[in-house]
Amino acid sequence: MSRFSELKHAASGKRRLKDLLLQSDNRFCADCGAPDPKWASANIGVFICLKCCGVHRSLGTHISKVLSVTLDEWSDDEIDSMTEVGGNSSANAIYEAFLPEGVSKPGPDSSHEERMRFIRSKYELQEFLKPSLRITSGKTSSSSLKSSFSTKLFDSFRIPSVSKNSEGMVEFIGLVKVKVKKGTNLAIRDMLSSDPYVVLTLGKQTVQTTVMKSNLNPVWNEELMLSVPQDFGPIKLSVFDYDTFSADDIMGEAEIDIQPLITSAMAFGDPEMFGNMQIGKWLKSNDNALVDDSIINIVDGKVMQEISLKLQNVECGELEVELEWMPLDQ
Amino acid sequence: MGILFSKMFSSVFGNKEARILVLGLDNAGKTTILYRLQMGEVVSTIPTIGFNVETVQYNNIKFQVWDLGGQTSIRPYWRCYFPNTQAIIYVVDSSDVDRLVIAKDEFHAILEEEELRGAIVLIFANKQDLPGALDDAAVTEALELHKIKNRQWAIFKTSAIKGEGLFEGLDWLSNTLKSGGG
Repeated sequence: MSRFSELKHAASGKRRLKDLLLQSDNRFCADCGAPDPKWASANIGVFICLKCCGVHRSLGTHISKVLSVTLDEWSDDEIDSMTEVGGNSSANAIYEAFLPEGVSKPGPDSSHEERMRFIRSKYELQEFLKPSLRITSGKTSSSSLKSSFSTKLFDSFRIPSVSKNSEGMVEFIGLVKVKVKKGTNLAIRDMLSSDPYVVLTLGKQTVQTTVMKSNLNPVWNEELMLSVPQDFGPIKLSVFDYDTFSADDIMGEAEIDIQPLITSAMAFGDPEMFGNMQIGKWLKSNDNALVDDSIINIVDGKVMQEISLKLQNVECGELEVELEWMPLDQ
Repeated sequence: MGILFSKMFSSVFGNKEARILVLGLDNAGKTTILYRLQMGEVVSTIPTIGFNVETVQYNNIKFQVWDLGGQTSIRPYWRCYFPNTQAIIYVVDSSDVDRLVIAKDEFHAILEEEELRGAIVLIFANKQDLPGALDDAAVTEALELHKIKNRQWAIFKTSAIKGEGLFEGLDWLSNTLKSGGG
């Protein structure tokens, strides 16, 4: 298949999946009823919420193969099996055909343990199928083996679960590609020149360009990638002079505020829906290092921003960079 | 002499720090492994749409362990964390046989990254508690580990749920890092 027809094909698969997700019964999690599920069990054929997805994943892929509707690539087979089942109502007509008295479905705010109990009964032990479809209950040695194994597994989850992991998780909202274009009139740090390189820091990430030997007007045109967490600050940019035998000398620094870029991109949504146009601006002020106002544009379906910086805490030097925002679509 | 030697030893290795990345496909068990190592407990997890980072002190090494999300569209973010990494822990769901080919491709793509040239590699053949899980020899073959060149590596059978194999892996990691690997 050519690259183009491959892409077209992938797009149509993705559309089939999105269409299925828009069906009214799929607007709520098949297991707990939470609104707007974004995850799915591709082999079972249900759309589920993030919390129930956590439980499905813990069962193993022999029970449930979980994929994200937005963050994962789906194969044609996986999309076919989702459309064949036909959505949450059809799936629940099978898996919840017979809910015995006293068993109630978990709700959106149910605990992990409640979800775990219900989801295991529903899919792994298949206790709510029509009686004729049910796996023979507890009589044969193999199924009792299976259930004792599962109980053991279940017990190991009962350890008071510190929800520390979800608090500790730092969530990405996208990538920012920084093209370090060129420096102009940089400061002299060796005898007559400098060996400059640029370091970018965002949160706990640090990336850097190559070193340009003896050059006060270096052209890098190097692309560096930084992941952007939900709670982001400015990108800190520093220029250094590379020294072989001593510590590298600083040749100036500047901060890049990526808030205007991200805010305007989010306000517009999918940039591919728009022609080339200006969507925002980062204004020059006394508090920032801008040489001029910096314009945020949609260019060929991408969100781009050109920035000229006057390096701070140094006698001279300017630096040109270009940003591209690539959101993580959730 | 013995005291002097042990003093020297601890001064050289006593406060060694290592930056470790935990990578692998979605739902391989990366986050469960991280918190099993750090807290000794099985926590209930949700998909990591970003990263978790924790410090694990073991064998006189302070491991800064980065657990990065494995969903398809998060994988391009991994490379933002490659610089200055001493070791990769690559986690495989040994029971998800259908996706071992994808796991292999992602693994070898990582090994080709220039910034990870010096990193040692520990592979966890995880989820040994699940039925149908392949053993370490089968995972070695599926991931084509024999193709690894110029790099120290090891594979361990693990079950993060049961806590098996994880610290054996960390033993190998700390010994290899102390002897100058990575």
